[in-house]
Amino acid sequence: MAEFLQHCVNALVLGGTYALLGIGLTLIFGIMRVVNFTHGELYTFGAYMAFVLGSLLGLDFFLSLLLAATLGVALGAVIEFVLLRPLKGADIDTTMLVMIGAGIAMQASEQLTWGGVAKMVPHPFPPDPLVFGPVAVAPVRLFVLGVAVALLVAFYLLINRTRLGVAMRATFQDPDTAALMGVNKGLMYTLTFAIGSGLAAIAGALLAPIFLVYPTMGDLVSLKAFAIVILGGLGNIAGASIGGFVLAFVEEFGAGYLSSGYRDAMGFLLIIAVLILRPQGLFAAKERIG
Amino acid sequence: MLKLDGITVCYGQIPALRRVSLTVEEGELVTLIGANGAGKTTTLRAISGLLPLTEGSITFRGQSIGGAAPRVVLGQGIAHCPEGRRVFPQLSVRENLEMGAYLRRDHAAVKSDMERLFHRFPRLQERLQQAAGTLSGGEQQMLAIARALMSRPKLVLFDEPSLGLAPNLVEQTFAIVSDIRREGTTVLMVEQNAYAALDMCDRAYLLESGQVVQHGTGQALLANESIQKAYLGA
Repeated sequence: MAEFLQHCVNALVLGGTYALLGIGLTLIFGIMRVVNFTHGELYTFGAYMAFVLGSLLGLDFFLSLLLAATLGVALGAVIEFVLLRPLKGADIDTTMLVMIGAGIAMQASEQLTWGGVAKMVPHPFPPDPLVFGPVAVAPVRLFVLGVAVALLVAFYLLINRTRLGVAMRATFQDPDTAALMGVNKGLMYTLTFAIGSGLAAIAGALLAPIFLVYPTMGDLVSLKAFAIVILGGLGNIAGASIGGFVLAFVEEFGAGYLSSGYRDAMGFLLIIAVLILRPQGLFAAKERIG
Repeated sequence: MLKLDGITVCYGQIPALRRVSLTVEEGELVTLIGANGAGKTTTLRAISGLLPLTEGSITFRGQSIGGAAPRVVLGQGIAHCPEGRRVFPQLSVRENLEMGAYLRRDHAAVKSDMERLFHRFPRLQERLQQAAGTLSGGEQQMLAIARALMSRPKLVLFDEPSLGLAPNLVEQTFAIVSDIRREGTTVLMVEQNAYAALDMCDRAYLLESGQVVQHGTGQALLANESIQKAYLGA
């Protein structure tokens, strides 16, 4: 039982950041119809920014997280503005190829700038785990979970309760009619990509002090983000949040009870099963944002 | 008030409109009639800025709006109630109406406008929190009209408001369009139901293959023999 609870706690911590990655990717696909292959690199970017700001520049840990997320938002806006905006109206294959190229270029730049040796990011939390009965959890992991959940809630409120959120959902459902209502589609796309990228960057920055930071860390994450999006149903934000936690639980329990060597494979086995049995996603009645 | 001067609009290489000119004066109800594919919807989409002009110009109250973005055209006071209603199916009725007032910053007035629309469309108030996609076709048309009015337009473009509605609802919809005009909003309407359109309008333009081939008062076109043959089934 203790072991079971411990796995649950670990899965929750991991699931929070998976959910952040998933909603960012699903938002971008849902509104822009862009399959974003730079998503994993934005995650890596966030982690490196946490390293630069926190470790190299010695900034306060919390401040460096905030800045890393902000820089992720800015980089996302630049990518949209420079690469995607000129491709307006191009088919999905073209944008996909461009995004694959951008992803490769970003990863190569990270390699060139930081070298292949993994970096560590310090954090100010005490190293001793907090013990709750049978379960132990490092304070930094609790912090990661707390921030992830807070961001998920904030994002939900943004999409469902604000004027911007309503305009985003309207653009997703019918871009032309949204334009007739006065929505600036170009601005909406830039914001969407920037917000999605910021979520990936903050996920990377949050996990940087737990895992190591290295140039290819985004590869697997990118694949997993796609897996989460497929689990939740394309464009389904609530589905992607839940999908993030589902993937984390499957990985954690698969690794814990079956074989830890197959941890990363567990998620993909799940995806294959979902694609065969329920290709529209676990939670999607139909494609939707919200 | 609105003046289209020789506009040409192409889909790819193929012209859908060829040098179309028309005018709408303040307070008028003008209709565009014609067969499927004649260019009626294209004309409205060009006015709204959804389609670029290949040549020609559009002016509205003395301002050039040809080639302007849809939000600029809307900001000048032209609302577009699109073909097939096009309500946002997964937004609530309230959110749809809020989208209609998206550019407005006078929140108190938006609220009172919404209240006023509820007098005209009580069903919308009953279904305020419901997703628009769950409304009946008639209710969706009422929502689409109300949404267009939420921007306080000076001119409303209606694209086939009667399309796909039961006969009693068709009548009701045309009555609403007439009411809107009577209250001082200028109307440019595209309609396949040529008889009803000509009967209620001040002036009408007949489009064939992307060109204006006839125009005149509604009554004059109703009396025109070739139009009776081709469009009124006489």
